[in-house]
Amino acid sequence: MRKMNGSQILASSIRWLIGLLICIVVMLPITWVLSISLKPPEEWVAYPPTLVPLKPTFSNYIILFQPGNPVGGIAEMVSSAEPVTRAFINSLIVVPIATAASVLIGFLASYATVRFQAGGATLPLFVLTTRMFPPVAFAVPLLVYFRMLNLIDTQLALILMYTGFTIAFSLWMMRGFIEGVPRHVEEAAILDGASPWRVLLTITLPLVRGGLAATGLFVFILNWTEFLLAQIFTSREALTIPVQVSHYVGAVGRFYGPMAALGIVASIPVVVAGYIIQRYLVTGFTFGLVRE
Amino acid sequence: MTEYAPSLARPGVRTVLSRLEQKLSSERVFGTALIAPMQLLLWFLLIIPTLIVVYLSFVRWEPRMGVDWWSAPFAFLGNYARVITDTRFWAAVGRSTGIVIVAVTMEFLIGMGLAFFFSRPLPGKRIMTSAILYPMMLPWVVVGLCFYLLFLDRGPVNYALTQILNRPINVEWFKHPPLAMATIVLADVWQWTPFLFLILYSGLGALPKEPVEAAMTLGASRWQIFRYITLPMLKPVILIALVIRSLEAFKIFDVVFIMTGGGPGTATETISVYIYRVGFVFGQLSYAAAMAVLILILVTMITRVGVRPLE
Repeated sequence: MRKMNGSQILASSIRWLIGLLICIVVMLPITWVLSISLKPPEEWVAYPPTLVPLKPTFSNYIILFQPGNPVGGIAEMVSSAEPVTRAFINSLIVVPIATAASVLIGFLASYATVRFQAGGATLPLFVLTTRMFPPVAFAVPLLVYFRMLNLIDTQLALILMYTGFTIAFSLWMMRGFIEGVPRHVEEAAILDGASPWRVLLTITLPLVRGGLAATGLFVFILNWTEFLLAQIFTSREALTIPVQVSHYVGAVGRFYGPMAALGIVASIPVVVAGYIIQRYLVTGFTFGLVRE
Repeated sequence: MTEYAPSLARPGVRTVLSRLEQKLSSERVFGTALIAPMQLLLWFLLIIPTLIVVYLSFVRWEPRMGVDWWSAPFAFLGNYARVITDTRFWAAVGRSTGIVIVAVTMEFLIGMGLAFFFSRPLPGKRIMTSAILYPMMLPWVVVGLCFYLLFLDRGPVNYALTQILNRPINVEWFKHPPLAMATIVLADVWQWTPFLFLILYSGLGALPKEPVEAAMTLGASRWQIFRYITLPMLKPVILIALVIRSLEAFKIFDVVFIMTGGGPGTATETISVYIYRVGFVFGQLSYAAAMAVLILILVTMITRVGVRPLE
């Protein structure tokens, strides 16, 4: 009996070690980026490479926002780089507006399709086609179109596209939450003589607040990380953070430190958002077809 | 008195009917109003662009020609004939398809393994399962950046290989076509295995326990339980996950753009990268339009086949 207990403990600790090993393997790539972001220039490509910075510094992060700042002695290498401030401001304007618009429009449409089958039973499926094809296929005609409307390199162009290309997620994710609102609650209010708008805004909306928040955070992740459309439709004025990352990677001079620092800064908002809505990640990525 | 009764009833019925009619029509108006903003967006971003892309694909037009696209000369099927015979296009389609097959298969197998590993009790399981989810939340460009830094000539991967193999390894990962392709697949696997893991893990957790217990008492082996009980019960979830992941993987652009830019030469050029280059780097928009239309048709056809088992 004691011996069996011992082997059980052994087996379970081996499994625990394997679990830990899996976590370490998954963690390593981003840890390496974090490590480089804290290294001074002479350590960026030092050989042999060390995981822990020998002389840790925050200068890479400071340089991002002030390329001329003499901190860390890399200003001369990096002063040719663009400060990332503009990209941050753009992302902080475009992404929240597009996300709010997508969730609001998606919620209204979702309510109408769930409760009244508005637009016919196939409308929600039709909306999915916006996500089925490579976005580059839509980018070709949209470029032609946006040139006519003078929308190239504007925040408005990105807001429109980001709203449109995430509406499928908003519509489908909200369906589950709306279906969760019992019909009789709404019907009781209608019998009391409330108008449909009133029912929607004062009865249904408060009941799906959590769903709206989860959908909003999910759409925020999608919009914050979008790269292809931003790369095509913006150049100097309206560029977003992912485009800025690609500029840093493509830049001559290879300033790996600031590059890594930018990668870390760009990731923090979406990783935080992702963990807040961890429960809904599957629901989101599968358009609510699989619910946890 | 008896004459009054029906005449009293009639307006009653009429009011009920007209109220019902009113309610129905107002509900319809209400519903239409609610979907109107979305439909406006769909027209603006899906329907009109689709019409334009089809039109563009039949003309010969580049922005540098200096004429408006609607007055460009017709090429009829000229662009399509060029795509059909464009080996670079088919190579790109082949590469994207290859990435879908290899990466999604690996993601599925590893994700399944992880889901089973973590489905058994384990101390600290909640933290571990949460910890391995983060790659799917990262911006794609950051994943590209990550693997770009890992596979640098004097980067940690080469160093680790040097240590393990005990001889100097200085592989230039992004300069050899098969190796460059492997790093891209690896980046995709690293980022999206957590998605397959999460969906299979929660799927496993939601399965009823009785069939498995019944099979165990009947003396079924673990493999038999997996093959004949767990797998069939998970099938709908697996199919949805695979279809969605395959469609996403087929679009792959960001990671390739950051890590190799499609190079060396055209060795890692996926279909998104090729259309991007033709349309937005070489400026041949009508040719890119023809490729886009063919991709739309191709994806629709393949999805039809892929979605059939779901229905």
